[in-house]
Amino acid sequence: MPFSPPGLEAVLQAVATGLLVGSTYGLMCVALGLIFGIMRLINFAQGDFLMLGMYFALAILSGLGLSSLIGSLPALILAALAAVPVFFAIGWLMHLALLGRIGRDRPGMTEGEVHQTQLIMTLGISLVLSNGGLMVFGSTPVSLNTPLASQAVVLDSFGGDILVFLNEARILAAVAALAASCGLYALLHRTDLGKKLRAAADNPLAATYMGIDVARCHRVTFGLGFGLTALAGTMVATYYPFQPYVGLDFIIVMYAGVVLGGLGSIMGSFWGGLVIGLVQQMSTLVLPMQLQGTTVFVVFLLIMLVRPQGLFGRSVERA
Amino acid sequence: MFSQRPRLAYIAICALVAAYGCAILFTTNSYYQLMLALVPVWAVMGLAWNLFSGYSGLVSFGHAAFFGIGAYTTTLLFAKAGVTPWIGIPLAAVTGSLAGIIIGAITFRLRGHYFALAMLAYPLAMLYVFEWAGFQEVSLPMKRENAALYMQFSDPRWNALIGLGLLVLALLVSLKVERSRFGMSLLAIKQNEIAAQVAGIDAFRWKLKAIALSGALAGAAGGFYAVILLVVTPNTVFGLATSAQALIVTMFGGVGTLWGPVVGAFLLVPASEILHAELGGKLPGIQGVVFGIAIILVMMKMPQGIAWAVRDRFLPRRGRPAQAVSASAVERLATPFVLPPHAAIMLEAEGICRSFGGVRAVADVSFQVRTQEILGIIGPNGAGKTTLFNVLNGLVTPDRGAIRLSGRDITGLPPSRICALGVGRTFQVARVFARMSLVENVVVGAFVGTATDAEAAERAREALGRVGLGALAEAPAEALTNCELRQLEVARALASRPRLLLMDEPFAGLDAGEVRAFMSLIRTLRDDGLTIVIIEHTMHAMVKLVDRFVVLDHGSVIADGAPQDVVRDRTVITAYLGEKWVPDAVA
Amino acid sequence: MLSLEGVSVRYGGRTALCDVDLDVAEGEFVTIIGPNGAGKTTLMKAISGVVPLASGVVRLAGNDLAPVPASRRPHLGLAHVPEYRQVFANLSVIENLELGAMPLADRARRAENIEHALMLFPVLRERAHQLAGTLSGGQQQMVAIARGLVSSPRVLLLDEPSMGLAPSVVDAIFERIAHVHRETGLTIVLVEQRAVEALELCSRAYVLSTGRVVASGTGRELMRNEDVNRAYLGA
Repeated sequence: MPFSPPGLEAVLQAVATGLLVGSTYGLMCVALGLIFGIMRLINFAQGDFLMLGMYFALAILSGLGLSSLIGSLPALILAALAAVPVFFAIGWLMHLALLGRIGRDRPGMTEGEVHQTQLIMTLGISLVLSNGGLMVFGSTPVSLNTPLASQAVVLDSFGGDILVFLNEARILAAVAALAASCGLYALLHRTDLGKKLRAAADNPLAATYMGIDVARCHRVTFGLGFGLTALAGTMVATYYPFQPYVGLDFIIVMYAGVVLGGLGSIMGSFWGGLVIGLVQQMSTLVLPMQLQGTTVFVVFLLIMLVRPQGLFGRSVERA
Repeated sequence: MFSQRPRLAYIAICALVAAYGCAILFTTNSYYQLMLALVPVWAVMGLAWNLFSGYSGLVSFGHAAFFGIGAYTTTLLFAKAGVTPWIGIPLAAVTGSLAGIIIGAITFRLRGHYFALAMLAYPLAMLYVFEWAGFQEVSLPMKRENAALYMQFSDPRWNALIGLGLLVLALLVSLKVERSRFGMSLLAIKQNEIAAQVAGIDAFRWKLKAIALSGALAGAAGGFYAVILLVVTPNTVFGLATSAQALIVTMFGGVGTLWGPVVGAFLLVPASEILHAELGGKLPGIQGVVFGIAIILVMMKMPQGIAWAVRDRFLPRRGRPAQAVSASAVERLATPFVLPPHAAIMLEAEGICRSFGGVRAVADVSFQVRTQEILGIIGPNGAGKTTLFNVLNGLVTPDRGAIRLSGRDITGLPPSRICALGVGRTFQVARVFARMSLVENVVVGAFVGTATDAEAAERAREALGRVGLGALAEAPAEALTNCELRQLEVARALASRPRLLLMDEPFAGLDAGEVRAFMSLIRTLRDDGLTIVIIEHTMHAMVKLVDRFVVLDHGSVIADGAPQDVVRDRTVITAYLGEKWVPDAVA
Repeated sequence: MLSLEGVSVRYGGRTALCDVDLDVAEGEFVTIIGPNGAGKTTLMKAISGVVPLASGVVRLAGNDLAPVPASRRPHLGLAHVPEYRQVFANLSVIENLELGAMPLADRARRAENIEHALMLFPVLRERAHQLAGTLSGGQQQMVAIARGLVSSPRVLLLDEPSMGLAPSVVDAIFERIAHVHRETGLTIVLVEQRAVEALELCSRAYVLSTGRVVASGTGRELMRNEDVNRAYLGA
C-alpha cells in the first residue's frame, strides 16, 4: 500500500474530531479516575455503567416519547441532567449493599485483600449488568435517532479551501463532558465535601481523626463515578449505536486514559482521555482501518513502560 | 516436600480422574459432552492464572494473551501446514511460554495496579493485530480419514478425556510447584518482595519462571480449546472475557491453592452451560447474570474463595502441640565471651552517601564491624539507620562509598547475592505465612546455598532449633505469640547460615522479660560465631548487650565507641539522648 | 473531662492494653510515658475509637463514648494528633487546616481558628499553599498540631509529637504546646517517648508498661521514682 501524506484538511479534521471525541472520553476517564483515585478500586463495571446511561437516554427519548413531545435536543438535555442523580443513587446503594460490606465485618483483611475482593465483585456486577441488559434490551444494536447525529457545523476559516466538519451530536457531548468535568473539579477543590473526599483518599486514618466518615466518602465517590459515567453514556448514545455489551468498546479507552493521566490523579484523567481521543483520530490518517484499535494499546503500553506515573501524574503510586 | 499431607493430593487427583472419567463415559447428550471438555479447559486456565498470579501476587488481567496465542498456534499450524494438534498443542504451550517470558521481562518493572493494567493491554492489542492480519475467523480443516491422528474424534467423549488428561498434567505441574522452593519463593515474593530478596531469593528470575510456566499452561488450554470448538476468532480467545474467566474461576474457588481453580471451574462452567442450554433460548444472558450473582455472593460471604472456606470448615486447623512450651532455656557458654582485640574485620563501610530526592539520608558514613562483634547502631528516628541497613544488604545502591565483606567489595550487588555471601537480615515487622507451618515459613531463607529441597527443610529445622522453636516446627505460624514471631523471623535469617546478621529493631513491642530472653538468644548466636549488627531506637537495653555503638544523627556518624563512653559523649547527649539524660542510670 | 475505666484492648491473641484506668480533669496537662511497645499509641487509638475495646469504658465529659463511632468523636470535641503526623500529603497546608476545622458547624469560627493557628505557627502561613507532604518533618508536625487545634477541641490528644525530629525542633514544638496550654487552659493528653521533657511539661503523668499503668503522679514525683526508671528503661 503506497503511503501518501495526509492533507492539511484531513489533519485538521482529525484534530477537531479528536478533541470532541477526546473530551467525551475525558469525562469517562474522570469518572473512573475518581473511583480509582479515592477508593483505590479498579472498577470493571465502568463500561456497563456507560451502557446503562445509553439505554437511559433511549428510555427518556423514545420510551417516554419525550423527543417527539418537546424536541430531541431538550429531551436529551433533560436525560443528561436526570442521569446524574438517578445513577448517583444507584451507585450509592450498590456501594452500601455490596462493595462497602467487604471487609466491614472482617477486620483481619488487609487493604489489598479488600481491594482485590471488591475488584472481583465489580467483575460480577459487570456480568450481571451486561447480561441482564441482554435479557431486558435484547442484543440488537440500537441508536438514538436524533437529528443531531446527522447535522454538522462547518468551520470554514480558510476561505473555502479547507472545510472542517464538526458533528453536532459530538459537539453537544463534548460541551456536556467539559461542563461536568469542570463541575467535578469545583466540587473536589472548592467544597467541604470535595476536600473530605480528597482527604479520605489521601490518608483514611487521619481523615477519621478529622471526623470524616471514610465509608460514606466512598459511597459518595462510587455514586458520583456512576452518575458521571451514565451522563457520558447519554451523550455518546447520540452518535454511537449500542447494545448491552457496548461497554467493552470503551473500557480500555477509559483505563488507558486514566493511566495516561496518572493513576490517582483525578483531573489528570481528563487530559488522558483527551489524548486518547486525539491519538485515535490521528491514527486514522496513517493506519489501516483494522489496526486503529491497536494504537490505543500501544500508546497505553508505551506510557506504562516509559512513564508509569502517567503524563500528568505527580509521583509513583502510594504504597 | 514441606507440606504435611503430600499423599492426600495425589489420592485426590486419582479420585478426580475416576469420577470425572465415569461422568464422561456415562454422558450421552452431545452438548453435555462438549461441556465436559470445556470444564477442564477453564480449570487449566484457572490453574495457569493461579500458578502465576495466585502465588506471586501479581494480578494479571491479560492471560487471554497466552490462551489466544496458544489457540492460534494450534489452529494455524493445522490449517496452514497440516500439523496435527497432537503436536500443535505442545507447540502452543511453547509459544504461550515464550509470550510469557517476553511480556514478563518487559512488564515486571511495574508493580501493583500498574502491572495489572498493563497486562490488560497485551491481549487486546493482539486481538486487533490478528484481525488486521486477516485471521478474523480460522477453522480447523476437517480430516475424515485418520481422524484420531488429527484429534477429530467422532465421539466427543474423547475430547473430554483429553481435556481431563490436560487437567491432570496441569494439576501435577501446579502440585510440583506448590510443594517446592519454586512455590515457596513465589509466596515469599507475594508477601514481601524486599524481604524475599534479602532472604536470597532472586525475585525477577522466579517471577519470570512462573509466568513462563503459566503461559505454557494457558497456551495449551487455548490450543485444546481451538480443537474442541473447531474455529477461532480473535474475540473469543483474546477478549476480555477470557482473561476474566481465568480470574473468576480462581477467585471463586480460592486463590493460592491447588484446588481453588478446579473447584471454581467445576462449579461455574457447568452451571453457566446448563443455564445457557436450558434457558438461553428464552432468556439470553441468564447464565451471565447467575454467574455474576454467584460471584458477588461468594465475595461477600467467603472472600477467600470456596476452597479455603471449606478447608477451614471441615479440616481442623492445626494448633500448637500441647506440651511444646518454647521456654527451652538457651544454654550459654560458662564464661562470657570476650571479643579479641584484634579480631578480623567482617564488614567495612567506607564513606557511604545516599540521597533521596535531594535529601541526604546517609552522608559519608564509615565504620567497621569485627568478627563476632555485636555492634549497635542507634540514633533518633529519621537518622538514616534503616537506609544504612538497606545499603548494607543491597536494597539501596549508595551514591558514593564502598562496602566490603571480609575484604571483598560487595557494593552494588543485588540483595539476593549479598545474602548468598553470608549476610542475613531480620525485619522490624515480622511477616509470616499464617496458615503455614514454621518449617515452611523458615525454609524460604534456606534456599540459598542448598541444592535440594530436603536439604533446605533440614536447614530450616536446624535454624528453628537454634532460636528455641524446634518443638513447634510443624505448628502453624498463626499459633505463635508475638515474641515467638520475632524468634521465627530470626530463624528465617539464620536458615541461610549467615556469617553476619543485621537485625532491625528486634526489641520493639517486647516486654522486659521477653527482651531479656531475646538478648540472651543474641548472645548465644554470637558465641556460636555470628557477627551481629543491631539497629535500635532506644538505648537502654542495648547498653547491656553490645560491644560497641555507632550513633547516627541526620545521616552522619556522631559517635563510635564502647557503650560506657558513648553514653557520656556530649555530642550524643545533645543530639539524641537529651540534656536530661543521666548516664549512670544505665551504665 | 476524660476518663477511662478498666480499658483493655486485644490485637488477635495479644493483649495490648490491660485494665487501664485514667482520669483527666478539665484544663489538665497529662502525660503518658512508657517504653516502646508499652501500648501508649493503642491507648490513644482506644480513646479516639479507631481500635475496638475488649472491655472497659471511655467517657468524655461524663458521656460513654462506646456508641459513638470514631468519625463522630471529633464532633464531640476530641482532637487526635496522630503518631507519625499523618498530614494529608497531597493537600495544601491550608486545606489540611480547613479539614481539621470541619467538625465545627460555624464557618466564621473555622476561619477564626485557622487564623489563630497560623499565628501560633507563623511558618505555616508562609507555606499555606504548599502541599503538606513537601514540608519538613517539624513543619508537618506543626500542621498536625494546628489541624487538631482548629476544631476548638475540649481534649487534645498528642501522640509522640517529637517522633523523628531534631532536638531543637522538639524544644520549639514543646514550647508551643506549653504556650497553648498556658494561654487557653486546653485539656491536653500527651504521649511521649522522651520521658524527661514530657514529665517537666505536664501537671500529672501516668507510666505505662506492657499495657498496664504501673505508676502515676505529678511529673516531679515520677522523675524521682525508682519503679518508673525501671519500667521506662525496659529492663
